[in-house]
Amino acid sequence: MSLAWISKLALAAGLIVLPATGWAQSVNISYLTHWSPETVALLEAAAKDFAKANPDVAITVRAVPFGDLLTTLRSQGGSSDGPTIGGIYDLWLPELARDKLVAPAPEPVAAEVKSAWPAGVVSAASVGGTLYGIPNEIDVYALNYNKELFKEAGIAAPPKTWAEFKEAAAKLTNKDKGQQGFGMINSWAAGVVHPFASLLVSNGGNLVKDGKPALDSPQAGETFALYEDLIKSGASNPAMATADANTTGPFLDNFVSGKTGMIIMANWWESALKSGMGDKFANVATAPIPVGPSGDKPHSISYSWMTVVNAKAGEAEQKAAWEFLAWLNSPKSGKNGASAMSDILMSMGILPSRNSDIEAHKDKLGSEFLSGYVSVLADARPFPVVPGGQEFSESLQQTLEALQYGQVSAKDAQANAQADATSILERAAK
Amino acid sequence: MLAPAVTLIGVFVLLPMLLTVWLSFQDWSTQTPFSDAGFIGLGNFREIFGPTSVGRDFKTALLNTAIYTTLSVILILPLSVVFGLLVYQREVAGGTTLRTVLFSTYMVPMIAVALVWSKLYSPSEGPLNQLLGLVGIGPQPWLSSPRSALVSIVFLNVWQQVGYFTVLAIAGLTQIPGSLYEAATLDGANRREQFRFITLPLLRRTLLFSAVIAIINAVQVFEPVALITQGGPVGSTNVLTYHIRRVGIERAQGGLGSAMAVMLMLSLIVCVSALFAFVNRKDSSE
Repeated sequence: MSLAWISKLALAAGLIVLPATGWAQSVNISYLTHWSPETVALLEAAAKDFAKANPDVAITVRAVPFGDLLTTLRSQGGSSDGPTIGGIYDLWLPELARDKLVAPAPEPVAAEVKSAWPAGVVSAASVGGTLYGIPNEIDVYALNYNKELFKEAGIAAPPKTWAEFKEAAAKLTNKDKGQQGFGMINSWAAGVVHPFASLLVSNGGNLVKDGKPALDSPQAGETFALYEDLIKSGASNPAMATADANTTGPFLDNFVSGKTGMIIMANWWESALKSGMGDKFANVATAPIPVGPSGDKPHSISYSWMTVVNAKAGEAEQKAAWEFLAWLNSPKSGKNGASAMSDILMSMGILPSRNSDIEAHKDKLGSEFLSGYVSVLADARPFPVVPGGQEFSESLQQTLEALQYGQVSAKDAQANAQADATSILERAAK
Repeated sequence: MLAPAVTLIGVFVLLPMLLTVWLSFQDWSTQTPFSDAGFIGLGNFREIFGPTSVGRDFKTALLNTAIYTTLSVILILPLSVVFGLLVYQREVAGGTTLRTVLFSTYMVPMIAVALVWSKLYSPSEGPLNQLLGLVGIGPQPWLSSPRSALVSIVFLNVWQQVGYFTVLAIAGLTQIPGSLYEAATLDGANRREQFRFITLPLLRRTLLFSAVIAIINAVQVFEPVALITQGGPVGSTNVLTYHIRRVGIERAQGGLGSAMAVMLMLSLIVCVSALFAFVNRKDSSE
């Protein structure tokens, strides 16, 4: 056989085999998260389990610090080579959906989510009635306090009202020991704004009402004044409040080392407290947010996270991504009827949001630390998810930090916050 | 033949700059194609210099960048000359080792520097406060106070960059003929006079180059802010590059971000031109 014939046969064979190789070719999808290496390892293990039944799908997990997550999604999510799946904070969804960076969930996935998750969580994962993500975690704020410091200060029970809260903060403050009564946070938008918002809603106020900022209400005025009182009295020291890009830093160090008596924080920091405190974690207790003079009962701020799929990814990648996410969040993937996602979340002390997951983890959710969070969930108010929400949050952060450092009075802080929020939300709504 | 070089410069240098200038006059989201941009004239510039939070944050970031740059240059240049003089002395034992040690800080990746310095600055457990405590000085807030956070980042920058500028200073010192010092010594000039009338004037060109590079490096500061302070507290370390990233990428406000980048570029051009004009004027008056 001549060389020419051999070449022709080889070419023909190649053309016949090509479609078959296309079929056998694996689909590569990537998952972008801000989780720690230990948690990423759990996610990788779940991806391996999925790959057993789906050998044609290869999943890689990539983690970036929380502070870089949105930037990474924005800068890389616009290309087909960007992350196929991203874990996002619900506040970011309206703008990511507006910019067509995230794909709407396929109908079967949307139907499953709508039937298996609470309506409020489904709404936070939707824009204009279209579901964009599979919700996973829900976070809520509560008062964390150090029982040992309470005992030393002669405080018998956690404060229920703002008056008791201020009194406890004063008793817990000991400047000689470098100890503050109440720990605020700065240099991290959500860390600054969410505790303030929790106190505000427990005082009968709102950040945003009917799509418009409501920081000019008397209830908001009282909340700004509470912050001013705590700072002026020395019960809260802003120099002990700094956070870094990984949402850790001095504010956390001061609480774990027993230099902060109380802090308002979310359930997810259970893992950070445990690793920082070791056996002393038993000193930490949880209580509802103290009620303000204009409030009716303790409320809290809640927010959720979800996983979304890159709208620019290829069709095969998007299909594989939704299949993986549907499996990861289904009762089939985890232990004892829980989803693998909820097992991962519970390893960090994060509350899962799927109804069946809450049931499956009932025992652990009843732990001393987490039960305090579960108990306030029913009366929690979702953080407003509106276009411009992230910028609004960052602007309020600046104002609250200026108040923390005594650069503005409570009255001016309130006026600035309302004016800034109005211009930001109006611009974003255009 | 200049054509290939001109083409390369045009494509890789001028085009992105011109594009940034064009975008600064547009209402444009970074998540949409350039074709979606809409001309709004000076709207973005009015916004960044206006009274709203956009304007306030931009002006704060511009001021922070100016303070950071000025302090960095003021500290780095004299220190580099002092270290250069110390290390350049041939009779000093271990001069080469000292030079290597000084330069090594420049080679350490910023992530490692940030990790170490954020712990050094820790208000409660930081070694810096512990050292100050030994000499009876109370704990300093460092990165935790809006009054000291930016200066703390400047110290970190000086620590990292001074070795590089010392090498530049040494290169300048080697260009000064030894005969000048010998003649000055014979004429009875002491060390201080030799430094003032020989070393400093003849180092002027080196110092000008160092100043320009130090300004450019300082204006582009990003990593320590992103890694350690996130622009806080109260925006006291929010420098322009970090702010442009937040506006242009996180919030996808490409037009506003481009207007800020254009202002940064203009400020840099004005500063460097003023520096050259100052030195040239001094040269021609002598």
